[in-house]
Amino acid sequence: MNRITLAFQRLRSAGIHRPIAAYRLVQATILVSLFWKWEFFLQANNIYANIPVEDPFFPDWLRSITTIRLAFWGSALATGISLITSINLLRKTCNWLGFFGITLMCVHQGSYNDMTFVTIWWCCLWSVWLSHRIDTDQQELLMLRAAFLSRLIISLILLGGAAGKWTPEYWSGEVLFDIYFLDRDFWVFNYLRDNYEPEDLQEIAKWYSRQIIVVETISGIGLWALPARWAALIATIILSGVVILSNKYLVSVIACLIGLACVGFFVPRRPRKAATNVNLALEKPAAN
Amino acid sequence: MVDSNDTSLSNNKQQRDWGFSCIVAFIGLIAVWLLLMPWIPGIAKHSLQRFHLRTPSFSVWAAQFPIPSMYNFANQYKVEQYPPGFVMMILDENWRYANHFPARVITFFAGRYDFLSSQQDRWFTLKSSYRGQVLESKFHLEAQAEGGYQLIRIDEVEESL
Repeated sequence: MNRITLAFQRLRSAGIHRPIAAYRLVQATILVSLFWKWEFFLQANNIYANIPVEDPFFPDWLRSITTIRLAFWGSALATGISLITSINLLRKTCNWLGFFGITLMCVHQGSYNDMTFVTIWWCCLWSVWLSHRIDTDQQELLMLRAAFLSRLIISLILLGGAAGKWTPEYWSGEVLFDIYFLDRDFWVFNYLRDNYEPEDLQEIAKWYSRQIIVVETISGIGLWALPARWAALIATIILSGVVILSNKYLVSVIACLIGLACVGFFVPRRPRKAATNVNLALEKPAAN
Repeated sequence: MVDSNDTSLSNNKQQRDWGFSCIVAFIGLIAVWLLLMPWIPGIAKHSLQRFHLRTPSFSVWAAQFPIPSMYNFANQYKVEQYPPGFVMMILDENWRYANHFPARVITFFAGRYDFLSSQQDRWFTLKSSYRGQVLESKFHLEAQAEGGYQLIRIDEVEESL
């Protein structure tokens, strides 16, 4: 029996089940992401009912306000239940329901490809996968796979952001200057507008844009290859930075990804070889 | 000899997990698509069409939603009260950038409210560019007597794909 298995046994005897703890953290952050969109949902509910837009590209039921209401509430309810239940069948069912509801949100005329729903969809896919394996007796292997999958998903999302920015309009800062620096009401841009001239702002926008491209590219290509805990730490810092330096609306996009990134913290530390030899002689199984 | 303390996936006694393998393969496929986008114009063209809701079929368009595209391409939009070319004095000064999927300016909650709450016809022009490829699309939002709008795609679109 290796040390990781021992570590798991100690934690389980103390009442901590790492895969379930990681799973619940992700469900909680999915709920944060969804309810950060609460204002969107309330406004959309009103506006879509009063100003329907008939577009034959979308099937009728994917333009319907009823579909978006059911999908949003269904997903939120299912995720809430999956967070608190300890009944495995109910957990799996709720994960599938949440996954299905968010899939609808991703292709509905009123919410399609909103990055909040895309990132939640990836977290739901991870949750569906984990909920079907949570009772396995190979907990450490499950935790390693869960953490690997989580950083692979985050890498992909960052890579997706980077690939679309490998174009001169982003490298020059022109796009983000217009979107953020010109009139976005957020502390960092308000501060910059108050303290710098327009030509300085364009230069700042250029370097702001370039650092985003570089960070997204490097982390998109390399984050998944890092050890679990390092990947979790770096991903959490990068994702938090996106919110702090861009806009508060991105909390809904990022919250669930931060939850997913934190899965890496649930992987037990790899014991150092030197310490291992000493500890093997001293260690007795913990009582609790 | 295998170190029993190694936490790497490859060194654990593998219990086959098809779900895990499928998700990893799916992610790998999307990553390849994204990495090839700058070098294969067809992929970029496909993605630009996706952004303008001009993919030939809805199901092909919908199948692409898992591809993450946060702040992709240089997307601009312009909203006018008159048909394109009707008022010659209007120049291009009212172009604004959108972060991604510029067609959402028409249908998403804030854009729909800002531009369509007047119940008058509006003309939208979308322009997305990526590494020299440009796709421009025009939409007429025709106000309906019973309320709401009919979205009409205007055929004459300029593109240099």
